Formats: sequence, structure tokens, C-alpha cells
Amino acid sequence: MKAHIKMTGELHAAMLKDLTRQHPFAAERVGFVFGRLGSLSDGGRLILLTRYHSIPDDQYVEDHTVGARIGSDALTWAMQAVYHGRPVREGIFHIHLHGHRGDTGMSATDSREIPRLIPGFQSVGRDAGHGIIILSLDHGAGWVWVPGSAEPAHVDCISVIGAPIGVFERRRSK
Amino acid sequence: MSKDRYSRQSFLGANSEELISRCTIGVPGLGGGGSHIVQQFAHIGFQRYVIYDYDAVEESNLNRLVGADLTDVLAETPKLHLAKKMIYNLQPNATIRGFACKWQDKPEPLRECQIVLGCVDSYKTREELEITCRRYLMHYIDIGMDVHGKDKPVIGGQIIQSSPGGLCMRCMGFLTDEKLATEAARYGDAGHRPQVIWPNGVLASTAIGLAVDLVTNWTRRSRTHAYLAYDGNEGTVRESLTLRNLAIKECPHFSVSEVGDPILVEL
Repeated sequence: MKAHIKMTGELHAAMLKDLTRQHPFAAERVGFVFGRLGSLSDGGRLILLTRYHSIPDDQYVEDHTVGARIGSDALTWAMQAVYHGRPVREGIFHIHLHGHRGDTGMSATDSREIPRLIPGFQSVGRDAGHGIIILSLDHGAGWVWVPGSAEPAHVDCISVIGAPIGVFERRRSK
Repeated sequence: MSKDRYSRQSFLGANSEELISRCTIGVPGLGGGGSHIVQQFAHIGFQRYVIYDYDAVEESNLNRLVGADLTDVLAETPKLHLAKKMIYNLQPNATIRGFACKWQDKPEPLRECQIVLGCVDSYKTREELEITCRRYLMHYIDIGMDVHGKDKPVIGGQIIQSSPGGLCMRCMGFLTDEKLATEAARYGDAGHRPQVIWPNGVLASTAIGLAVDLVTNWTRRSRTHAYLAYDGNEGTVRESLTLRNLAIKECPHFSVSEVGDPILVEL
């Protein structure tokens, strides 16, 4: 299934600005961004990002085994937001930044920790798409669980519709 | 291919070739305006296209349809075929998704674009294209021309950039309920408006300039919207007076949260 994420340049800039801020104790920041679904040809899905939620400093948990860990307050807020977004099928995406340039992807810790959040989001908002986005300073990667799917689709392209336009394409293994 | 191919446009930026080659362009309507548009995009190096036109070449098109000649009239060549030929002759590895129908009949492929260039006749279709571009997050660049008066003809036209989060064609005073109602009273028929090649060329080239800037940001202007007015009698393109005097700073007509497939909400 083809999957394509789009966002405005303004939203992309706001997320980068927030995620590059230093946290009092966590090594990196995370956030939540909301997205709605659009249909593409041949069953492909478009995910159109709408708004970003910055996680307050005090909702992080001190855990030096990971770059950042958020606590139950942040997760409860996210679940409630998904619940309230049900009428418009608005899903939620966990987002964080890898502070380098170029292609990026999930680290071993990312792969182990973040996908565990998705079933919870799906249980509250089953008609929405949820997922994970990792930005680099000038690129990005994403995974989306479309409604009814237990497995994610690797996002083929992330488009930033701003000035300038950004087109971040999935790295294909040879 | 020689490294010299794009050497004359290297001022667009060191990575401009790559940025240009990754961008997907939508062109619904491949007539007098659209034929200029696809030809210039192909020269610049754009590789990905979603294009629509269901018409075939007629004799009355030859005064302005770039790429068409007398044999196309005899062969009733589809305009879609002409556009593909122009692109492939310049960019043999291009990815072209071409549809011989109205874009409204097959809208899904258009949603993958980053920029849509509208070269359509009616206000209604312009409005529909802009709504689609806002809903599926695409820059929309509109071009159009008209000739007013018979004794002393006046050629006018517009190039408008409407981008998600920025001012829309209603904000900029181009689309109005009055214009839409007048057109609707004619059953949506824009009529056979006078069309000539040179204003289309000016409008298309200016629109291409806006599009290339959106992709490469070579001017460092980061435009959120634009409304340029063409005066074909004077031979000038200037920022629209309406836009210059506009008090509005934020678009009240489109919300950035109203995106994606429409959903009927039960009350």
C-alpha cells in the first residue's frame, strides 16, 4: 500500500523548532501530531497532518536508558485527544527528531519502544490512521497503521507544502 | 546526458536539479495555457506529472496550442498525447500519469502532487481546484486571460498562487459570489472566449517562475500567496492593486484542519 504524509511548511517549522529545544533532563524531545486520512489511487492512503502538541517538560520521565520517555499524563492526554477526534477520524502520530541531516529511520530503541503505543491509540480511535514520524533536520521517515491493520505501512513520501517545498522520499534498500 | 544540460540554471541552487526532479506537478487542462506549462516544466527538468485533458486538437486550437500542427488536426490527436510527447522528448525517464477525462472524474492521482497549475476556463472549476488543493495540501497556481470589448479590445489576465495556510482566491478578491453566480446563470458555460498565444505564454512563464521558486526558493522570498495582474495592452505584469490594498492577513475561508476525505458527521 502506498502511503504519503503531507503537512504545511508552517507546521513542519513549528515541530522542528519545538523538537530541537533542550529538555531539562531528557536527551531529546518527543511530541504528538494529528493527521486525517485521504484516499489515493489503488488503495493508497494520504495522511494530512493538522496540528502539533508539544509535550510539557514535566510530563517526561527520567530514564537514561532511552533518549526520552514520556509519562502517563502525556499518554492519557494523547488517548483523550484521539477519543475527541473520533467524529472526524483524526489519528495521532508520535514524532521525534534525529538531529542530523539526510535520511533517517528507527533506531533499535525506537523499534522496540514506540510501536507499543499504537494498539492503545487504535483501541480508542479505530477508524483513524495512527503512526510514528521521525524527522531529521532536512528529511524524515514515517510508519502508519491504517484502520484495521495490525502492521504498519512504511511511508513512501513525506511532503512539506511550504516555501520551499520539501519532498522526503523513503530510502529503498538495494 | 552531459553535465552541461542544466548549467545555465545553476543559480537555482546546488541541489536544485534534485529538488526539481522529486516534485510532482499537476496540470488539469492542456490547452493554450497548459501546453506552455508542461513544455517549460520539461525543459527545466521536472520528471513527475499528473495531467488531464479529454479534448483532441481542432483547427481553432492552432493559433495557440504549443506543440500542435496541421497533421494533429487531421489525425485528431488527443491533447494529452501532445503533452506526453513534449515531455518525453525532453525527459525520456519522466513519470507521467495522464488521464483523458476531467480531473474531477479521477481526482485521486492529483492529490499526490505538491503543486497544481490550473489552466481552466471557468470560475467554478477554479474554485473546485482550489478547494481540492486546500483539502489535500497542494500549492495551487492559477492562470487565465480574457479579452474585453470589441472596438478597443483590452487583454487582461492573472497569475495567482494560493497555498495552504495562506490567503485564498476569495481573500485576494479574485473569486467572488457575484462572478460565480453570473457564470452559473449561463449554466456554467464560460463560452468561447478569445484566446491568443502570447498572453498565454506570459501567464504560463510567470506561473512557472512562481512554481520554480516554491521548489528551489532561489529568490528567498518564501511567498505564501501571490496575485499578479497582466495588462496585455501595456505588456506589463504587476502585483494586483486589490492585493496591495488588502487589509486581511489571514484566510477566513479555509481552515488547516479541514483536510482529508470529507466525513459526514452525525448530529
